[in-house]
Amino acid sequence: MPAFDPGALLAAIVSAPGALFLLLAGCWMLGWQPRERVVATLTGVTFLSMCLGIATLALLLGMEGRDSLPVDLGFWYTAGAYRFPLTLLADRLSMPMMALTAVLAGLVGSFSRRYMHRERGFFRFFLLLDLFAFGAMLAFSAGSLDLLIGGWELVGISSVLLIAFFQERQGPVRNAIRTFGYYRVADLGLLIGVIALHHAAGVTEYEKLFRGEWPHQSLGIAVGPATAIGLLLMMAACGKSAQVPFCSWLPRAMEGPTPSSAIFYGAISVHMGAYLLLRIQPVLASGWAAAATVVVGLLTAFLGTLSHRVSTDAKTSLAYASMTQLGIIFMEIGLGFDYLAMMHIVGHALVRTLQFLRAPSMLHDYHRMHAAAGGELAETGLHLERWIPRPVQMWLYRFGLERGFLDSIIERAVTGPVLRLSRALGALEQSRSAPAAARRPAVRASGEMAGGLDA
Amino acid sequence: MLNFAFALPAIAAIAVWRMPSDRLSSIRLLALGSVLASLVCCVLAGIHTTGALAAAALSALALLALAGLPKREWRSAPVAGMLMVVSGTIAAYASSSLTAFCAAWAVTAAPLLLGWFGAGGRTRIFTAANLALLLAAAMLEPAPAAFPLMVAAALIRAGVFPFQFWIASAFEQTSPACFNLFANGHMGALLLARFGLKLFPAESAASMGMISSLVLVTAVYAALVAQAERSTRRLLALLAVSQASFILAGLESRTAEGLTGAALHALVVAAATTGLTLAYAHIEARCPQAANPDGYLGLASRMPRIAVLFTICGLALVGLPGTLGFVSEDLLFHGALEAHPAFGMALPVATALNAIAILRLVARLFLGRAHGAVPDVPDARMAERLALSCCVLVLVLGGLFPSIPIAVGRTAVHDEPAAIAAATR
Repeated sequence: MPAFDPGALLAAIVSAPGALFLLLAGCWMLGWQPRERVVATLTGVTFLSMCLGIATLALLLGMEGRDSLPVDLGFWYTAGAYRFPLTLLADRLSMPMMALTAVLAGLVGSFSRRYMHRERGFFRFFLLLDLFAFGAMLAFSAGSLDLLIGGWELVGISSVLLIAFFQERQGPVRNAIRTFGYYRVADLGLLIGVIALHHAAGVTEYEKLFRGEWPHQSLGIAVGPATAIGLLLMMAACGKSAQVPFCSWLPRAMEGPTPSSAIFYGAISVHMGAYLLLRIQPVLASGWAAAATVVVGLLTAFLGTLSHRVSTDAKTSLAYASMTQLGIIFMEIGLGFDYLAMMHIVGHALVRTLQFLRAPSMLHDYHRMHAAAGGELAETGLHLERWIPRPVQMWLYRFGLERGFLDSIIERAVTGPVLRLSRALGALEQSRSAPAAARRPAVRASGEMAGGLDA
Repeated sequence: MLNFAFALPAIAAIAVWRMPSDRLSSIRLLALGSVLASLVCCVLAGIHTTGALAAAALSALALLALAGLPKREWRSAPVAGMLMVVSGTIAAYASSSLTAFCAAWAVTAAPLLLGWFGAGGRTRIFTAANLALLLAAAMLEPAPAAFPLMVAAALIRAGVFPFQFWIASAFEQTSPACFNLFANGHMGALLLARFGLKLFPAESAASMGMISSLVLVTAVYAALVAQAERSTRRLLALLAVSQASFILAGLESRTAEGLTGAALHALVVAAATTGLTLAYAHIEARCPQAANPDGYLGLASRMPRIAVLFTICGLALVGLPGTLGFVSEDLLFHGALEAHPAFGMALPVATALNAIAILRLVARLFLGRAHGAVPDVPDARMAERLALSCCVLVLVLGGLFPSIPIAVGRTAVHDEPAAIAAATR
């Protein structure tokens, strides 16, 4: 008989970073900003406790011979026949992801203690790291798709706020807004897909939705609804995991601090889409969405590897390398290789986090390696260059440099028309509402008047 | 007790209006005291009834709006106008006859008509036309011809397409904090729910589809226009109109989820827009460039707390998890998609667009490098911080413990759906 309730332990593990976030945010609102050492120590203790808690939980489940632990915390709220379930689930899929989150977030926190030392936004960074960790733990441990949405959105907003971390520059701010746009559009798939699943199956809790234990689960809904729901959820997964056509945000996200790039776009956040697909594997398998997953993964991997090879800075190169591996993971999921995809996720997250954290010192490593070798090392590889004709190489180079022309396609087909329509409607609104003299002219930040709209 | 609740602010309004604007302490004391007394009366009246609950919520909102008002807006005319809006809205919530409701509506419209909020000509014209339509409907009632006039009055007041432009114009010309109190009475929705359905059940049932469609179009249209809007006031107005239309969409869905979501969303819109407009009022008072920024103002480095509170209110309005906005929108989406599977998708799309617009606004106001011409301004003072924090607390605590507002408002949900269900049977 365990000394404490495993369900309570799981709930405590998930809520720990959220509680720390509220504590630190509350202190700041009341006018007291803790010192760097206090913030870093509290964060470190929290993540260490989470790691120990997860290890204990795994041990308890192993001793009891259980494959999963559902924790029913009742309903968050009800309205008529609708109930929002507050259930957590620790199983073969969620436990590795939670462990990965706790370990890597803790490592990144420890790294950031020195890397972000005396940085003006030190406190803000750790606050957002705690918020992210809470969102990720909630998403991975959620026992229903409804609760997963909550964690998913928190991860998204903390990601965007960290991209805009160096807010004094316009580049990070613009890229943060752009990334947010991609997230919101892709998340429409998650919202509508979950509601559609609710109507098709009546529930969104995994224990009631799927028969059996992960990954040997099945679902009893027709092919048509399963395909539609699978495609909608896949759209959300593509947005979070930077798959075609929602991949343009990933290199832009490198504007944030290196530790956040590591934990978000090397490790946890970017794999959340793959986690969602693994979780809804029975929905994918019941329809045609699995085939679409394979196609999307293949296209992304192709685009990613080309873009990675032509990138001129370390972090962008690593971002595209992540994208390539995620494309392959998506293919594995689409083909039904769940355990392989799971292992790929864990291995990739660990390696990529290391590479991101080492990226600032990469040039030093490079020079040291060459110096140790007594001069410039000879270039290796070039096998593909020997096999592929030169004109094709040039075309592929241009294709990679333009990131698959996705930016210009999206600009021409989506954002451009929407903004033009918005401006036209806005001009119509203004002509109908107030006379021109009563309207306030635009004022630049410098205090001068401005004319016209900028791009 | 509810009679006292609307009488006290009305008496205070007259007293404040007659005072010279330099008697700041007296104006403050009268205004805050009367609204506080009104709130107490509403609570004593028993918040188990729809009218008292809504009146209490409005009184609390008005108290926050007044407490957090910037110093430059503490003049006798706008403050008297706000008190009249409070008085008229509480009277409307308490009214059981169309005649009494019309009188209450006229009281709330009076500050705009008299120019106390600084409204321009077109805003006054729309307000007058709106009132005239309602009065005509009251005079013609029970003739069927009264119903379209009533619907037109409700839709204009609520800023439903194609009448949304006057709301944005009003935000631009008047004090946003004052006009926001006027808009958060949701008198249009109340008119349709309380009198339209009961007096004209057959006509209501027949027109629900059209109203639903207009409301969904409003949500998306306003969100679309907001994408390229550069004026901060107009952007806030468009966001408020778009999100407020969700309330009507929830009512029209005629599902328990939609109705509960509508009631909660009314509270979310009220608290969030009050927080946004108050924060913006303080920003504009300190930094006039905020009205129409061309570029990034970088105000977060100068006023971090206002920036954070503004951001939380804005994100709560569009459904940030952990806030009441997430709960209300979850219920609304379920209700709307169940009632209108195709058109209901307009709500999530509108929310996504509004979220992008909010973040763009936050970025323009608070992020970037603070230009030298942007004054070195102080962060939120204690009174401002208190008022804004109350708005945020309502949103966050309501989001973490949503069963409390749902349980408290359960009567509000049950009164109206019984009428709606009976009308549409």
